[in-house]
Amino acid sequence: MSKRTRGLAALCLAGVMLAASACGGSSGGESESGAVELRFSWWGNNDRAEATQKVIDAFEAKNPGITVKGTYTDFNSYFDRLATEVAGGRAPDVITLGGAYPREYGDRGALLDLSTVGGVLKTDKIGAAALGNGKFSNVQYGVPTGVNAIALVVNPDLFDKAGVELPDEDTWSWEDFSRIAKDLAGKLPDGSFALTDPTRTDMLDIYSRQRGESLYTADGRVGITDKTLVDWWTMTLDLLKAGATPPASQTSELTTQPAPEQTLMGRGLAAMQFDWSNQITALRKASGAPLRLIRVPGESQGTRPGMWLQASQIYTINARSEHPQEAAKLVDFLVNTADAGKIVLTDRGIPANSDVRAAIEPQLSEEQQIETAFIDTLTPKAGPPLVIGPTGSADVWKILDRVNADVLFGRQQPAAAAADFIKQVGTAIG
Amino acid sequence: MSKRLDTAGATVAPPPPRPVSPTEDPPRRRRFLRPGGPPQDRIGYLFLTPWFIGMAAFTIGPILGSLYLSFTEYTLLKPPEWLGLDNYREMLEDPRLHKSLLVTFLYVFVSVPIQLILALGLALLLNRGVRGLAFYRSVYYLPSLLAGSVSIAILWRQIFGQEGLVNQLLAFFGVEGVSWVAHPDFALGTLVLLNAWTFGAPMVIFLAGLRQIPVSYYEAAQVDGAGTVNRFFHITLPMLTPIIFFNVVLQMIGAFQSFTQAFVISGGRGGPSDATLLYTLYLYERGFGSFDMGYASAMAWILLALIAALTGLNFLFAKRWVFYGN
Repeated sequence: MSKRTRGLAALCLAGVMLAASACGGSSGGESESGAVELRFSWWGNNDRAEATQKVIDAFEAKNPGITVKGTYTDFNSYFDRLATEVAGGRAPDVITLGGAYPREYGDRGALLDLSTVGGVLKTDKIGAAALGNGKFSNVQYGVPTGVNAIALVVNPDLFDKAGVELPDEDTWSWEDFSRIAKDLAGKLPDGSFALTDPTRTDMLDIYSRQRGESLYTADGRVGITDKTLVDWWTMTLDLLKAGATPPASQTSELTTQPAPEQTLMGRGLAAMQFDWSNQITALRKASGAPLRLIRVPGESQGTRPGMWLQASQIYTINARSEHPQEAAKLVDFLVNTADAGKIVLTDRGIPANSDVRAAIEPQLSEEQQIETAFIDTLTPKAGPPLVIGPTGSADVWKILDRVNADVLFGRQQPAAAAADFIKQVGTAIG
Repeated sequence: MSKRLDTAGATVAPPPPRPVSPTEDPPRRRRFLRPGGPPQDRIGYLFLTPWFIGMAAFTIGPILGSLYLSFTEYTLLKPPEWLGLDNYREMLEDPRLHKSLLVTFLYVFVSVPIQLILALGLALLLNRGVRGLAFYRSVYYLPSLLAGSVSIAILWRQIFGQEGLVNQLLAFFGVEGVSWVAHPDFALGTLVLLNAWTFGAPMVIFLAGLRQIPVSYYEAAQVDGAGTVNRFFHITLPMLTPIIFFNVVLQMIGAFQSFTQAFVISGGRGGPSDATLLYTLYLYERGFGSFDMGYASAMAWILLALIAALTGLNFLFAKRWVFYGN
């Protein structure tokens, strides 16, 4: 054999071996030493990943027979990847979900009924409201990581710079909100904005709930009315024209960059931004400004308060996991032990387990104290629990993004956009 | 005619005075395909088996699987349910699908001509005997290797974003730019530009084609008093038509399947307002975003039919303008 043919033969052999090795390999399973290997997935930034890895290390130290492999991506790509993995039968054993996704996956049979592992995974210390967010069709599919709420994040530095007073969060209305935003717009330097474009599904939840409606009805249909949507978009367009929110193209670019560090608030370029309360730590760290959390406008003028307490994320177990008992052990460790709580702190919301919450209290940083204080004052003032969207609603944020872009770029008037949105959501959940 | 078309697929069309008589070719080819041919052929096939196995297992198998799935409702998590032609019927009434077709056609029919004109222009320039040709050829070819990558798409976002290079340049002239990648009027334009930037691959093919044109033609034309323009339109262009045709077919097929750039630049969503919703992106979104794998499979087959039909049209029209020299 000449040198060249020998090289070719080696290459072919390598190809065959590659093909053969691709056929082997199954999800999870026992590693060589006979230890159980679990896979655990979540979304988030690097700080969260580092903290989570520490929790995993602590868990492994306590459970010598189990090793845990963590996988994470940013929020936008997390669910695309998860869908692919679930379809391929290679989904992680412990899956972090949120919003409408637990129901989506639960109803499609991808999640384990947690009552089957009730002996390992206890839920008696977990707040009932949050626990309800993991229960669908009378099956407990998930355990909340913590409690969370939509808040208005404000940057007092920018308010000071503009010489505008912070609002009174107990009484302010949407009119006050618009007035303050426009006031800020006129006084802030170029490149800084009064607020990030406020349109997001959670805000439609709040805005419609304040009017006695809801984005979805309990029987799984669209609950928000044309009028409410038109009023909402009329307001946001008005803010856009006043220069209170960034130009449409900048807003649309920002929707493709969900990490808190990339938002206007995280970069110190917005005075106000509606966001989840547990983002405060990341936003403060990124902006370096003494950000605060206040309650959203319109809570005292509407027919009822629109804000609610939400399970920030939910841990679920893959229905096809080969090691449901061990996976349950991991979830139990994550939500029910002070060891894990003291590492995660409030990154995934204020711990829903009252014992863990008490155990971490002395350790909380200034940001985390802000967050707990916010949730504590909100608790008695919050509205009724949120109606979680039906199957198919997990796609609605994408629909809203598209229709909102149409509105901001002036391609659809609010009235047409409202009808379009309701129609598209109806199709998605139909 | 059909025999002539066969040669169109070859990268280099043989020059008019064929060095080898065409009758010598077919018998040799037939002998190679005959089963039980000479031992070196069998060894050849043996060496190809890993590829054949891979082809069957990872390409043909899934392709047939997707044909079946296209007639079903398949949500990934439950076994597929037979629907008949429902997916195809739904496609007729799906406004986002129609929008994605429009976006894709616009993308293909704008970016491919730009890309090929650039490629031809540069090939002509380089063919004039530049010193360090190998270097330039490599430099211009580089984008073709890189442009499909995620990192270039991210770079594109940085260049054409709100605070990108383009806007910084504009600000220098006192113009306030928009986020080009996120504006419905311009976002597709940035993708077209990115695709046009990959002119290197067709350029190399053009260069090879230009080398095949006998110098004697030009000399003869020059003697007859033909200027540069005349020589280009009456010798270079006609002689190059097989190469142009080959590049048009290849680049069109490639452009129809573009995905990565649009996916990365729009954050995976074809936004804003579906302005960059390429067909493949919508297919992906339906399949992996909305769990409509059946519908996505049907879309894939329509795309295949579409590309096949357009390529067929290309070949049909080729009779009118492609010149094979004999």
